[in-house]
Order: sequence, then C-alpha cells, then structure tokens
Amino acid sequence: MELNIMDMYSDILNVYGDIGNLTCINERCKWRGIEVNNKSFSIGSNEKLDFDNIDMILIGGGSDKGQSVVSEDLLKHRSELENYLNNGGVLLAICGSYQMFGNNYHDIDGENIQCLEMFDIETHAESNRLIGNILVENSIGLTPKTLVGFENHAGRTYHNYNPLGEVKVGHGNNDENKYEGMVYKNFIGTYLHGPFLPKNPHIADYIILNALKNKYEVEKLTSLDDTIEINAHNSMVNKLLNI
Amino acid sequence: MRTQLALFIGKISYLIANMMGKKGTAFPGKIAMKIKPDILKDLAIKCDKIAIISGTNGKTTTTNLANHVFGKNNIVLSNLNGSNMIQGVISPFIIDNKKHYDWGIFEVDEGSIPFVTKYLTPDYLIITNFFRDQLDRFGEVENTINLVHDSIKNENTILILNGDDPSSLYFDDLKNPKRYFSQKESFTSKDSQTVTEPSFCPKCEHKLSYNYINYGNIGKFFCENCGATNNKSDYEITNIKIEEDHYEFSVSDKKNTSKMKLNLLGTYNLYNALAVISFARENDYDFNEIKTQIESFENVDGRMETTTTKDNEIVVVLSKNPVGLSEVLKPIKYDAEKKSIMFILNDYAPDGRDISWIWDAYFEEINNMENLNKIYCAGTRGEEIALRLKYANIPNEKIKIYPSKNRSDIEKPINDILKENKKIYIVGTFTAIPEIRKIILKKK
Repeated sequence: MELNIMDMYSDILNVYGDIGNLTCINERCKWRGIEVNNKSFSIGSNEKLDFDNIDMILIGGGSDKGQSVVSEDLLKHRSELENYLNNGGVLLAICGSYQMFGNNYHDIDGENIQCLEMFDIETHAESNRLIGNILVENSIGLTPKTLVGFENHAGRTYHNYNPLGEVKVGHGNNDENKYEGMVYKNFIGTYLHGPFLPKNPHIADYIILNALKNKYEVEKLTSLDDTIEINAHNSMVNKLLNI
Repeated sequence: MRTQLALFIGKISYLIANMMGKKGTAFPGKIAMKIKPDILKDLAIKCDKIAIISGTNGKTTTTNLANHVFGKNNIVLSNLNGSNMIQGVISPFIIDNKKHYDWGIFEVDEGSIPFVTKYLTPDYLIITNFFRDQLDRFGEVENTINLVHDSIKNENTILILNGDDPSSLYFDDLKNPKRYFSQKESFTSKDSQTVTEPSFCPKCEHKLSYNYINYGNIGKFFCENCGATNNKSDYEITNIKIEEDHYEFSVSDKKNTSKMKLNLLGTYNLYNALAVISFARENDYDFNEIKTQIESFENVDGRMETTTTKDNEIVVVLSKNPVGLSEVLKPIKYDAEKKSIMFILNDYAPDGRDISWIWDAYFEEINNMENLNKIYCAGTRGEEIALRLKYANIPNEKIKIYPSKNRSDIEKPINDILKENKKIYIVGTFTAIPEIRKIILKKK
C-alpha cells in the first residue's frame, strides 16, 4: 500500500511544531510497511496541486501574518479543494488553517482576513488569548476517548458541524459551548496545535486508515507497540485531571 | 530618602536570603521596587554609560562576555546570572552598591524592555537574534520584535544588530545609528533550513530565500519579491575553523582584521562573540585588547559547563527552544568519547508551558553520534522527550524514561546515569539547571 501525503505551506505555517504531525504520520505508515510519498506545496511551489493523486493533506497553524499570506494563495485552489473534501479527501487543519476554511476571521483590530468560505464557520479574535493544556473527549468514537494537546489562539470559533470532541479541561472552539474542533467527512479542524498526533496515536491511525480506505479494501491497521505514545498520553491525562 | 530605604531593605533581604542558602538574584530588586517603584531611575544615573543586551538566544553569554571585555579596565555592573526582568537589573545595584560605574551592561528579557526603558535610556542596544521562544508568553515573534522596536524612544541609542537575522530589517525605519555584524559562509553553513523557522520578508511579507544559512534562519537571505536583503555589515567573522574544543576565526571591520580563538562551541556562540567584538570596537577597544579578553573567556553557568568529579565528567547545558537545542546537539556530535545524554524537559512558566517546540528541534542528529550509550529522559514532561526520540528513529532500547513529579525529582535519573557512564551530557530547560547543579555539587 502507498499513500501520497501533501503538507501544505509548512514553510509558512509551522509555528508550534506542527511538523511533528507529519513526522508522526510518516513514521507510523513506514513502521507498517505502507509506502509514503511526501509532497509539499507552498507559495511559489513548482509542484502542481494534483488533487487526484493526493491521499492526505496536512496544514498547520501560523502567525496572523502567515495566515493572511496563505489564505490569499489558497483561494486560488478553492474549487479543487472543495471537490477533494466532498469526495472524502482526508485533511487535517490546525488552528489558523482550521479558521481559514470558514467564512471569515475578524482579527483583534476588527479587520477581516479573507477566508475560503468552505464551511459555515465564524471566527473573531479577542485580545486575551486562550492558552494552555487541553483535554478533550472525542466524539468520533475513538478509544481511548481522551485527546490531549496544547491550545494557543486569539480566535473564537462558532459553527454547527459535528465537533471533534467535548472539552474537559481547557477552552476549545470559543471557551463558551465546551466544543472543540470540527469534523466534516474526512476533514478535521482543531485548535490542538503542533505535535498533536504523536501523543494521540489513536487519532493518527484514524486519519491514516481513512486515507487508505479511499484507495484500498482495508478494514483496520496492523497494531504497533505504542507503549511510549500511550505513556505520554496517559501522563498528560493524569496531570490534567490531577490523578 | 525613600530610595535609600528601598536600597537598605533590599540589601537586608538579600543577606537574609543568602543566609537561608537561597541565591535570590531577583529578590532584592523585587523588594526594593515594592518600596520605590521607580527606583531604577535613581540607580541608572550611577552609570556613565548603559548597554542593554536582548534577543531570544545568547543574552546571558553575550552579557558575560561583554562584562569580561569591558570589565578589564572599567568598573562595570551587570546581571550575569540570567535574571533578566526589571528586578534582575535592579538587584546588582543593591548587592554591589558602588557610588559610580563606568558601564552598566545588562541583559534584559525582550518582554521586559518596555519596563526597563521607562526608567533608563541605553546608549547601546545589542540584539542577538529573534527566534520563536516561549510563544505562549508573547503570542508571536512579530509581537516580540514590535515590543522591542517600539521601546526605542531615543534616537541617540546606537543599535548593534545581527545583520544575518532577517528580523534586523524591522529596525530599518528607525533614525538611530545602526551597526550590523555578520558571519560569512563556513563549513557548518547549509543551503536549507533544518529547523523550520518560517522566515518572511519584513518589508513585503513574501517568503525569504537564502544563499546560505548559518543556523536557524540566520544567514545570507534575499527577497525575490522586493529585493530586500541583509544590511551591509560593519563587522564580519570569516575563515572559521573548529579545533577540538575551540574555534579559530578571523574578524574584521572596515579597516583591520584580527585572528582570534573562542573557547565556546556552537555557531551561535560565534555570533555572541561577534556582537561583543562589534560593541567593543564601537568603543575604541583595539583588536589586541579584545582578543586577549575573548580568548580568556570560559563558560557561563548552565551554558555548557563541565564538572569533573572522581568518577565522572559531566557537561550541563541549558536549552529552551528549537534552534538552541539543535545547536547544542552539534558539538556533542564532535565528541568521540563514550557517553550518555540526559534530557530534562520541564513545563513550568519559565520553561514555557507549551513543549511543542521539541518537535521543531533536530533530534535526528543523535543518530549521527558515535559511542552513544543511552539517552535518559526526565523532567515533568520527560515522557514527551522519549516520544520525540522515538519519532526521530532512536532505537527504543537506547531510551530510558524517568518521569519527574516536580522539578527537584531528578535525583534518581542523575544517580543512575552517573553510575552507568563516565562521560555524560545533561541538557535541561530553564528550571532544571539549578536542580541539576544542586545534585552535582553534592558529588564533588
């Protein structure tokens, strides 16, 4: 089996070690003998955006500056991207790029950064950033239920899609309704930034499996020795729940 | 009157803290500020001239080195121990308490610059570099740069800037006199970035391109969109050679060239030295005087300090962000001796609550190290260092995990590593360093 994995704008949107998610997907595929072809796409990139030959897209978070630069560029590929997602294409969007898929992003000065209008998501920024460790119970049926990570965002995000999960400790989408992230078909948007997948190997594998299912007759992945991953996951769960 | 009282109480609190075995480097300043909030204003006038050293990495080393060079024939006051908030600038005045100083050379945290410059106007502002560091505290690198930029209120302050750091262009709009230092391409330069440090043109926000990168995003850059590039340098390091435990290099300004040695490894330390050399040349030191002082400088606490005990040789290194950590691993690679490494990753506020940055550091370098026995992972987030190592393809059997309940819970892993190995490196975040030192002192 083989996966074509595209990281988009990682030279611009990689503020909090988001590259760790790509490392995680790559390694977990290789350990299982799944061949990985890495492609990168960015502004001025020579690589053509050939969505027919992409099995997974990863986009990280960035500074407001990075975000507006990328937003503008991404608009050029809007309709192909929409087809990709509607056909069940796998995409993980972190923090700033999650916001970018919505209708608009009003920054702290009230200025509107142009977004993709792919989903009916509204985001506005407030001056006090929502920062800290976060614990979420996922609503996509993964075991264990917990997802752990770190969030750091000025944006408050509102939508009526299925959330990725329910916030147990931390802030999530908007610090009001206890929801975190969003899921639409195989699109996942989340505020859990940076190296979110390595210490949540169950969601890393969920993403890999979804990408494989689009191409191959597979039901499940071969299991790996995740002692170190589970160890890191559990220690954060215990720390956040004061166990 | 109130100033005298504040100084007196500050001094007493220092003596008491000292008696109780606490080092209390920021404490006297904190107490004095409680009594007289603007005390720094009264103290700063004791210094004929003032230099502030700021930036993300290298502040403490640069301050110590500048103190070493300028202190040879001047009375210089500095905060040498890395305590760099406003209290940390006030404390040495209280502890040292002389009537007059030729120079005040202070390390100031980027976030504290607006507070410090409220009370004093520096003659020189030396900026080492800007990287992502503790972003959970400042928000974004651009915010940090703006914070420093907007604090420069007096046009006479001379700016000494790292000309190879694209962020130095953010200061172009200021009328202040500016001097730039630069390091030419060397054997360690690369043509691509290993630590992905997004780098945009400060002028037009376009992505920057590079002829070469010395480390991080520091190097010879240019913008394909608007043509922006490095400012012309006033001071340059060229011909860098690495010997077993030191560098040899040439340094020149517009007129003269000199050959020097530096006993600190790491490309970033060459930049730190160059910042100080530029600062000294600006103040009419001749190259020979500078050379003597640069070559006689040894390590600063926690920045690659070596302790030799009966059974061990222990090297302790502070590391708190991806660029710093990637750079720290390079000199360890040059050490052919049999060794083990310990990483201590804490997530207290001074360390940064967010430990995501370890994924941007180039741990993969460990695979190139010869004679490496085991890697010990400790600290309040020790499990996550182990996780990072696993994904850097370090074999599981080399990784030993010792999670710590709190910052002082590292005695067991240190005892084990000392028993099992002769030569060891301990790389720790900010709050880990004093705890490591306490334990090692007991072994001496």
